[in-house]
Amino acid sequence: MVKALKYIFLICAGVSILLGLFFRPEHPHFWWEKIPAFDAIFGFLGCILIVVGSKALGHHWLQKDEDYYSD
Amino acid sequence: MIDTQPPAFIFIAGAILLPFLRERRLRRVFQLLIPVIAFIDLLYMPEGTYWIYNFLGYDLILGKVDKLSMCFGYVFVIMAFLGMVYALHVRDTGQHVAAFLYMGSTLGVTFAGDIFTLFVFWEIMAISSVFLIWYQRDMAALAAGFRYIMVHIFGGCSLLAGIIIYVSNTGSTHFGFIEYGGLASQLMLLGFIINAAVPPFHAWLSDAYPEATVTGSVFLTAFTTKSAVYVLLRAFPGVELLVWLGAIMAIYGVVYAVLENDIRRLLAYHIISQVGYMVCGVGLGTEMAMNGTTAHAFSHILYKALLFMGVGAVIQVTGRRKLTELQGRNLYKQMPICLSLYMIGAFSISAVPLFNGFVSKTMVVAAAGELHRPIIHLLLHLASIGTFLHTGLKLPYGTWFGRVPEGEKVEEIEASEPPLNMLVAMGMAAFLCIFTGIYPKILYNILPYPVHYHPYTTSNVVAMMQLLLLTAGAFWLYIDKLGGEATISVDTDWFYRKPGMLFLWFVSHPLQNLRVGLQHLLSRTVANVASLSKNPILLPEIAIRYIHLRIINRFYHIFGLAEDKVEELKELESRYDAIRKITYDKDVYRRPIGLGVLLAIVLLFLYGLVYFFTSR
Repeated sequence: MVKALKYIFLICAGVSILLGLFFRPEHPHFWWEKIPAFDAIFGFLGCILIVVGSKALGHHWLQKDEDYYSD
Repeated sequence: MIDTQPPAFIFIAGAILLPFLRERRLRRVFQLLIPVIAFIDLLYMPEGTYWIYNFLGYDLILGKVDKLSMCFGYVFVIMAFLGMVYALHVRDTGQHVAAFLYMGSTLGVTFAGDIFTLFVFWEIMAISSVFLIWYQRDMAALAAGFRYIMVHIFGGCSLLAGIIIYVSNTGSTHFGFIEYGGLASQLMLLGFIINAAVPPFHAWLSDAYPEATVTGSVFLTAFTTKSAVYVLLRAFPGVELLVWLGAIMAIYGVVYAVLENDIRRLLAYHIISQVGYMVCGVGLGTEMAMNGTTAHAFSHILYKALLFMGVGAVIQVTGRRKLTELQGRNLYKQMPICLSLYMIGAFSISAVPLFNGFVSKTMVVAAAGELHRPIIHLLLHLASIGTFLHTGLKLPYGTWFGRVPEGEKVEEIEASEPPLNMLVAMGMAAFLCIFTGIYPKILYNILPYPVHYHPYTTSNVVAMMQLLLLTAGAFWLYIDKLGGEATISVDTDWFYRKPGMLFLWFVSHPLQNLRVGLQHLLSRTVANVASLSKNPILLPEIAIRYIHLRIINRFYHIFGLAEDKVEELKELESRYDAIRKITYDKDVYRRPIGLGVLLAIVLLFLYGLVYFFTSR
């Protein structure tokens, strides 16, 4: 089940990147929209950035014990 | 032609009549009937400005109807119906009354044509909504509700101050476009953005919404923030400050959602994130951005309600609200329908093509692109990733599937599908999410400006799929790190919670001690004086006699004093002691004065009333 899901995911990702090479934005507003598969790269790196960045912020600063306000 | 009524009044009348319906089935029918009547009312309301009442020389306008207010009116009434279906099993009539007042006042804000009407409904909205939190009936809800109402009262005061300055400067009470600049507009903007939960004034939302009742939080998600977006659209389009606040807000919510363990609080942070798109759209101020904002508010109300319904159902059947208490319990086996419907909401908020988020959110992002705002464009894009990561992947994975951290014992939890009315409400919301996603024309037709935007271009769809699929890929890598952590995250509510506690300590310890000491001293003095002054003429005589005896006692100490003199002295001394020992009893001294003052006030009030009516 999990393995099948993995394959389906990889195929979908591959297909979307492949299609992205042929269907470019008609009126790109920014230079990065001309990079092939930009959204895929941005999605992957952006997700890692969000997770790592937020967790670092949380662990070093924002996260407190659950009874932080109740003592 | 049907005679239409202000939709706010329909709901408020519903709130007044509801407690009189004792028969439960009748009450349920009535609850569903009110939104239906309001919807029919909306359909017959012509465009224009009407329902104008003169009050103290000002025009109160209850019906400012154009495409913008109509669009918000439609979605508010649809949401009222969905929320009522979801809450149908709740037996607390009070909750339904609060919900009706809340929805009615929101519609009042939506169709208000002058700022006084706006302000009155604005305040009713704050006060009625807090009861949806308090009906949860626990200490956390009570405290969160108080913090919620205090922030909103602060916002309301700021708005009122702005209104007063504005009216005295311009002489106009008309509610429409307001030139940004100057104290009046800044205060009004502050009042609005507090309700829109713009950081750093957002903490009331993530603080209070997760503490509300399961059904109450569904109502809360829809009305307060979106009515704030509506007034911003009406009054402050094109304010540059809002562009940046909105974009930062979109990211801000995402960052906190990573850290959050409480499932409803996680979603609450995503309200902040999503409203960020709308605030940004207001700031961009072009026709396309305003259309996008309106459309996104419409979509957001539907999918966010669906998401809150989904996790609300989990809380309802399991009594648990934290990822750390839910992950690894495989709830998907017991509640597959609930999970499927939740996922429709999750795909909608993540802007998956064919769902309604895609047709509205991309419009705001495209408007930023059209204005060549690279940083805003990238920030909004980044927030899209975070949205899918949490509501689409982390939350459902942690809630319905998930793995238990090593070494932790898993106990079985009883769960089942929620009551039928909850599932029906979720089903209807899900249907609307998909329907407007597949057939966006129906949404685009009611937007304030003509729409020249086509979401379903191949490149658009492909780009979105790339973004989302690779986000899922990155999630896969971090899947074990993203489980819940049993912590809370400090937010800007720290600034009033911690100093607030310090203030309370100061009041209840040093200040209270000072008060008790002072009162003791003063009340004894008062009591002594009062007792002595009962017979003031005799007072000098007693004093002289007492001093006389004391002196004699000194002199004749060696020889002794006559028996009767000793007796008299003892008696005088004991009387003196008795006077010293009298303590202040507030009931003895306060009551006669209190009664007199009360009577005086009542009479003054009656006199004022008579004077007021006879002098006209």
